[in-house]
Amino acid sequence: MENNQEYDFIIKNLNLHYGDNHVLKDINMEIKHSRVTAFIGPSGCGKSTLLRCLNRMNDLYDICRIDGDIFYKNININEMNPVELRTKVGMVFQSPNPFPMSIFDNVAYGPRCNGIKDKATLKEIVTTSLKKASLYDEVKDRLKDNALGLSGGQQQRLCIARAIAIQPEVILMDEPTSALDPIATSKIEELIDELKQDYTIIIVTHNMQQAARISDYTAFFLLGEVIEMGETSELFANPQNEKTEDYITGRFG
Amino acid sequence: MVIGLVAASAIVIIVLFIFIKGISPFINDYQGSGNASLLKFITGFTWTAGNYGILGMLINTLYLTLIATLVSSPISILTALFIVRIAPKRLSASIKSVIELLASIPSIIYGLFGMAVINFVVKNIGNLFNIQTAGGTSGLSTVIVLIIMMIPTITMISITSVEAVRQDQIHASLALGATKAQTDFKIVINGAKSGIFAAIILGVGRALGEATAVSMVCGNAITGPNLNLFDITRTLTSTMMLGLHESSGLDYDIRFSVGVVLMFIILLTSVTLNAIKRMLEKK
Repeated sequence: MENNQEYDFIIKNLNLHYGDNHVLKDINMEIKHSRVTAFIGPSGCGKSTLLRCLNRMNDLYDICRIDGDIFYKNININEMNPVELRTKVGMVFQSPNPFPMSIFDNVAYGPRCNGIKDKATLKEIVTTSLKKASLYDEVKDRLKDNALGLSGGQQQRLCIARAIAIQPEVILMDEPTSALDPIATSKIEELIDELKQDYTIIIVTHNMQQAARISDYTAFFLLGEVIEMGETSELFANPQNEKTEDYITGRFG
Repeated sequence: MVIGLVAASAIVIIVLFIFIKGISPFINDYQGSGNASLLKFITGFTWTAGNYGILGMLINTLYLTLIATLVSSPISILTALFIVRIAPKRLSASIKSVIELLASIPSIIYGLFGMAVINFVVKNIGNLFNIQTAGGTSGLSTVIVLIIMMIPTITMISITSVEAVRQDQIHASLALGATKAQTDFKIVINGAKSGIFAAIILGVGRALGEATAVSMVCGNAITGPNLNLFDITRTLTSTMMLGLHESSGLDYDIRFSVGVVLMFIILLTSVTLNAIKRMLEKK
C-alpha cells in the first residue's frame, strides 16, 4: 500500500450489490486532498451510492453488500469505527434536513454528540461554522428560533454549517442544490468555492454546468461504472471516451 | 354527516343524563334518607351509606394515576423504541403482536390476575418489610394493575409516532457522527415526542377511568386519602362500582354525582396535558 498523503480516499476494486442488483462495478478511484471532485452521470448510475460508501452510510441497509476496499488516509474504512469515520467525513444531503430544533442546537448537535459540553466552546463552534457557511449574518439575531422557519436555501446552508461544526476533513455533498432555486444554488456554489480551501469536497450532481463551474476533478458514471475521470477542464474540453462526450454534449441523460 | 350528528348528539344526551341524575341527590328529597349535602360531598373524606364525601378518593385517584403514569410511560417509550429501532425484525413483530394482544384483554381479566397474583405478591412484599396488608389488596396492587393496563396503550401509539420519524433525520444524525443510541434518544424520541405525549394522555385517560380491575384490588377503604401504598384504598371508579345494593334511591343516585366528578376530572386532565403538549411542541 503506497503511503500517499496526496489522496484522501483511495478506492480499490469496489463492487456493491443491493440484493441482486449490481450497483457499482469494479470502481477504482483516487480522491485528491483539498480539491473539489464531482461525480456526474444520469440517474441511477451509482454516483450517490458510491458517495454513501465513503462514510459508510450504506451500512444502514441490510441488503447492501460491499466487496473491495476503500482507504481513508491509508486506513481501510472497514477497520475504522463508523462513528469516528463520520466525524472526519461529513455529509450534506439532497434535500435540506435540519432537525426540528433551534438553529443553534442544529449546529451544536454534532459537537454535543462528540462530547463537547462547555457552553463557551459550543458557542464558538456554532458561530464559526455559521460564518463559514455564510449564514451567520442572516441568522445571528435568531439563533434560538426553530430551524424549520428558514428558507430552503438557508436550511441547506445550515446543514452545511452543521456538517462543518464537527470539524471534518472531507465533506460529501449529495446533490445539495437539487431542491433549491437558482439564487440559492449560486449561493451554495460560491460557498463550495470558499470551503475548498479548508476541506476536501466530493459533490454528486445532476447538473453538468455545476460540475464544470465548481469542481477540479470530475468522474463520469454510467450504469455503475466509472467511464472516465480526470481534471474537470480536460474532461469537459477533451473527453477521451465517446460515451462521456455523448453525455456532456447532451446526447443522452 | 348524519352519523356524525347522531354520535355527537349521543354524547350530549349521555353527559346530560348523567349530569341531571348526578345533581339530583343534592336537590331532591329522598324518602327516608333526605338529601345529600353538596359541601360535604366535595370536601368529605369518608364514604359510607348516608355519608358521602369524595375528596379523599379524588386525591387517591389522581395519586395512583400519577404514580402509574410515571412508571408506565418510560417503560412504554423504551419498549416502543426497542420494537421499532433496535430489535431484529422478527422479534419486533412478535413483541408487537403480544402488545396488541395485551391491549385487547378485557379489564376484568387484569382484575382477576391482580386479585390472584399481584395481591399475593404485594402481600409477601409487605410481609418482607413487616407491613401488614389486607391480603394484598392495596394502593400498590392498584398501581401495578394500572401500569400493566397502561403499557400496551401507551406503547402501541408510541410505536406509530416513533415509526413516523423521518429517515432523513436519522441519517443526518448518524452522518454527523452521532452513535445509534444518541440518534435514538435525541432525534427519534424528540421527533416523536408529540405523538408519545398523545399516547400518555390516552393512557392517563384509561387509568383514570378504569373501574373493574381497580375495584377488584383496591380494597374499598372507607376513608381517604390513602397515600400509604400498602394500605387499602378507594378511587372514584371503584366507588361507583362497589357496594351497590339497590337500583334507586340516594345511595344509587349519588354514584352519578361521582360520575360527573370523574368526567370533569378526565376533561380537566386532558385539557391540562394537551396544553403542556402544545407548549412542548412550540419549543
